[in-house]
Amino acid sequence: MKIVVYACAVAALVAVHTTVLPYISVWGVKPDIGLVAVCLIGLLSGELEGLVVGLFVGWAMSLFSATDLAASMVAKGSVGFLAGLVGRQVAQVTPLVLVSGLVVASTLSSLMTIWSLKPNDQQDIWWMIRTILMPQACFDAVVGGLCYWLIWSRLNLDRLAEGREF
Amino acid sequence: MRMANFRSSYGARRLALGVLLSVLLGFFLLPHQLQILFQEIGGPVGWVLSWPIRLVASVQGGIGETWSHYVALQDVEDENRQLRKELELLQGQNSQLREAASATDRLTALLEFKAQALPTMIAAQVIGRDTGNWYRTILLNKGSADGIQADMGVVTSVGVVGRVVKTTMATAVVLLVSDPNNAIAGLIQRTRDEGIVEGTTPGLARLKYIPLLSNVRAGDRVVTSGLVGGFPRGLAIGTITTIGKEEGALFQSAELRPEVDVNRVEEVLVIQSPYIPGEDGKSDGPLPKAKP
Repeated sequence: MKIVVYACAVAALVAVHTTVLPYISVWGVKPDIGLVAVCLIGLLSGELEGLVVGLFVGWAMSLFSATDLAASMVAKGSVGFLAGLVGRQVAQVTPLVLVSGLVVASTLSSLMTIWSLKPNDQQDIWWMIRTILMPQACFDAVVGGLCYWLIWSRLNLDRLAEGREF
Repeated sequence: MRMANFRSSYGARRLALGVLLSVLLGFFLLPHQLQILFQEIGGPVGWVLSWPIRLVASVQGGIGETWSHYVALQDVEDENRQLRKELELLQGQNSQLREAASATDRLTALLEFKAQALPTMIAAQVIGRDTGNWYRTILLNKGSADGIQADMGVVTSVGVVGRVVKTTMATAVVLLVSDPNNAIAGLIQRTRDEGIVEGTTPGLARLKYIPLLSNVRAGDRVVTSGLVGGFPRGLAIGTITTIGKEEGALFQSAELRPEVDVNRVEEVLVIQSPYIPGEDGKSDGPLPKAKP
């Protein structure tokens, strides 16, 4: 059942990424909601789920992008794995922890992508950091914070999940 | 606040670490083979994933159409007036061009030029944009199952849009002419000087490697040279806006305004096989044909 839910979530993520997000981009930069989702899954469900979902999201998203397939898979998979590791070290996920974690995760993921790119004479590393990496890290953190607030404060999924366990 | 994850078992953690290390090792040791493998598997997966994209794109298209037809009509009167003026101007130009065209026809017949074969083209719709922020690409609703392959040129009736870089069974990713990683062989129409057109970081384009002695000037049109890549000769790429000449440089470069507004393109044509002139002057390309 969980696999079906994750597969549907990935399909929805890719569809939203390719069709809706380009219209809400700020200065040409749009949030990476795939990365936000992988972070949340890793943080709350553990390393293995974070890694597997991250690899699949990275692969699926690279099919609809010019981005290198290996870099996309490894970046998202590593972020999911690291989020799982962090999830075990942090007693309670507060909005501050989540937002800070997303900034770090997005920065690491973008650095991996920069490392895999072959920039031409117009695109030096500082230009990429200034125009893409930093705005995207901020954007991801904001979107992640909003998702967290929406899911756990408004929809109260946490209480529902607890109720089902008992 | 939500309790973080403590339930992950030791075995699951070890398995995750093993999988991660295997993936990393795999991509370091066999990068090319794994890329091909995942791309091959990605064909049918891309076909499945293309359906939600099409669904969202069609809903979005419907909303956009409603907006443009019924809501965003505030500037229509001004626009209409402007278009009428442009129409009058173009009608005058059109009659001059008709004269020029008939003269060209006569001269062509006299010189026994071979008629250039039109390339085979596949019509496709734009259903999305790149999933990342690192490249400027568009996503088409046709893929390898329709005969589209990497490196094929993509155009509209106005000019060059870009070239295909990746395909799944049902979709194709097109790297736009305005992306700095794209390079297309170009030709200045007036001076016949050749160069390489590449995108720029602000989203325009520039022509590199123009000979220093070329008398190129702002307003000159740049077209495809047809020498390399998936484009036949003579397709409009852009118009030169400024010339850059650096002291001591071996070449000059020029900034271009692309002919196609790549941010608004909705339908495109993918060139399956550009016209290649044979040694005897006959076309090696296929007969004119357009797939729906």
